[in-house]
Amino acid sequence: MRNPPSRLIRSLLAAALALVTLTGGVAAQADSGSVSFMVFGDPAELAAYRELVEAFEQEHPDIAVELIHIPSMSDYRLRLGADFAAGDPADVVLINYRRYAPFAKKGVLEPLAPYLRRSDVISDNDFFPVATDPFRWRGQLMCIPQNISSLVVYYNRGLFDAAGVAYPSDDWSWDEFLETALALTADPDGDGMTDQHGLGVDPSIFRLAPFIWQNGGELAVLESGLRPIRLALDSRAAREATEWFVALQTEHGVAPDALAEMAEGSESRFLNGRTAMFLNSRRGVPTARRIDGFEWDVAALPTGVQQAGILHSDAYCMAAATEDKDAAWAFIEFANSPVGQAIVARTGRTVPSLIEVASSEAFLDPGAAPANSGVWLDTLDTLRTVPVIAAWVDVEELTGDELRRAFYGQASVDEAIDAMITRTLPFFAGEES
Amino acid sequence: MRRFSLSWQAGLWAMLLPYLVGTLLLVGLPALMSAILAFTTYDALTPPVFVGFANFRLLAADPIVTTAIGNSLVFILLAVPLRILGALGLALLLLRPRRGVSGYRAAAYVPTVIPDVAFALIWLWIFNPLFGPVNVALGALGLPQPGWLADAETARYPFVVMSVFQIGEGFVVLLAALRGLPREYFDAGAVDGAGRWGSFRYLTLPLLLPWLALLTFRDIILTFQWTFTPSFVMTGGDPYYATMFLPLLTYEEAFDRFRFGAGSALMLITFLLSAAIIGGIYLLFRRRGYTADV
Repeated sequence: MRNPPSRLIRSLLAAALALVTLTGGVAAQADSGSVSFMVFGDPAELAAYRELVEAFEQEHPDIAVELIHIPSMSDYRLRLGADFAAGDPADVVLINYRRYAPFAKKGVLEPLAPYLRRSDVISDNDFFPVATDPFRWRGQLMCIPQNISSLVVYYNRGLFDAAGVAYPSDDWSWDEFLETALALTADPDGDGMTDQHGLGVDPSIFRLAPFIWQNGGELAVLESGLRPIRLALDSRAAREATEWFVALQTEHGVAPDALAEMAEGSESRFLNGRTAMFLNSRRGVPTARRIDGFEWDVAALPTGVQQAGILHSDAYCMAAATEDKDAAWAFIEFANSPVGQAIVARTGRTVPSLIEVASSEAFLDPGAAPANSGVWLDTLDTLRTVPVIAAWVDVEELTGDELRRAFYGQASVDEAIDAMITRTLPFFAGEES
Repeated sequence: MRRFSLSWQAGLWAMLLPYLVGTLLLVGLPALMSAILAFTTYDALTPPVFVGFANFRLLAADPIVTTAIGNSLVFILLAVPLRILGALGLALLLLRPRRGVSGYRAAAYVPTVIPDVAFALIWLWIFNPLFGPVNVALGALGLPQPGWLADAETARYPFVVMSVFQIGEGFVVLLAALRGLPREYFDAGAVDGAGRWGSFRYLTLPLLLPWLALLTFRDIILTFQWTFTPSFVMTGGDPYYATMFLPLLTYEEAFDRFRFGAGSALMLITFLLSAAIIGGIYLLFRRRGYTADV
């Protein structure tokens, strides 16, 4: 005879067991198969990262990716620092090579070299060396670079055509650059206020650096050829380049003055068709692709005594605090596989760091502006990097303050150079590179 | 009577307790910890290291800190009197019942409830050196058009002007104070032949003095902090630190550069400066004015 109460107890026990098994299973799956991924960028980039995440989850159905999107780059940097400080960063984050050093120095990033060595999807040799080198901290690859962008000249073809000015050539000189900018600076209504500027540029050391290198100068004085000990802006070559750069505004007036820049930023002026040339990295492409009032393209930076460009590169980094490092690496590996890099490259935002993808249609799509995307690949051999030191962010901020003063005619170049060197000196003390 | 008094006291404490606990946990304790951090170097990634007064010595040698202190003091010197005078003027103007006065009172309060970031963005446009309505109007009148936020000489003034439009709370407090002044004093003054000015000078102003003192203390504390959002949103401290105020510098040190020790030291300096100014003003007000109970 069956005993109903014991049957009930057995059923309840079975249900409880099933529940425990189920919840345990779910918890185990969540623990071992979830990755948080934090990015910045405009809606087009976000769409690409969403596509990247979806493609990854299709290939790895056991791993769920939580995409955390911060629209503004400056907000992203603050969030990144705050999250690391709180000990709760996203598992995978994008960091620029100028900004990862403080995190690497404090040991809060997981070195990715061992993971890359074990990977059968990607290897160190698949990447442009100029992209991976800056992410080596104490000789070890810390992050996997996503892109290998650099500073180029965006130009408004319509304004060039209207002024009868030839488009920039691949090997144009500083003088030709200035002549072009002068020819495209105009005050058609004659009210004494420039309505169209030949050039827009952010007066920062990051924009000035390639011109210093082109003139044979250096950014930093290196001790024993390795460790940067101070800025080297007081060399003759660096001073000349700085004077030339500053004179673009103060003497030639081809770039907006402080008032005009405050009233409307140079990028906005370019996008609105009132600035003929604008210096920016590949980062400007998704926004520029929304221009419908004129045609635009990109050209190489003008050449000084020698060719030189400056690397702009972000990389996928893994937080050392990540619980499921295998899952996080699986995502980084996928994002840096040819499939993953092609998805992001199609937005126009990146110059892929994978050699294979950089030469593919995902990047060199003839149907997508700019027509001359190849310029980013043609100038790869000339790219250089700023010193990778923990306090570089401070150096950039302080030098920017001083350089802006000179660029807008509020201080002489000599004063600015002296201040840049003196004020940044403490940040080089005890640095490694 | 004694029992009633005790329970009354107990009731007051019971009502005060949640606020006291909240203040202690959410303000007092963090402030104390922050004050301790001022004597350390701390980047939040590695444990803090005690460095004594090193942060203060470094800050004292940093010209940007001196500039930020100077900017903050000048701002307080300009903004606080204008804000108090503005609130008093509006309260006097809108005291008497008249047609539409409620609407005017609401209009005076509205700028105070606009979110700070939106308020800053509105003024960023108003003071745009080329396209802003202020300079367009000045140009139309044939007057010089300053660079405002783009010029180190003039960059602080838009902040002062902005702050004078957010005086709703002071206005309401003074309006309430004015409405509470005893009518008999003014009737007696009128009998003695006091005119409008005499009545204001010898009755209204002294009677309002405790309120004005209270508002001034509050405004000094508030104004020290108020500069953060507009300077963060509108200028970032530019041009060349002309709008670098203590709160923005503190924020940059702590949350941008992750030097929490230096940031905490700056916070302590701000606190001590506020206390010193309030102490000075207190001494100034202490023996002046009288209350309605006199």
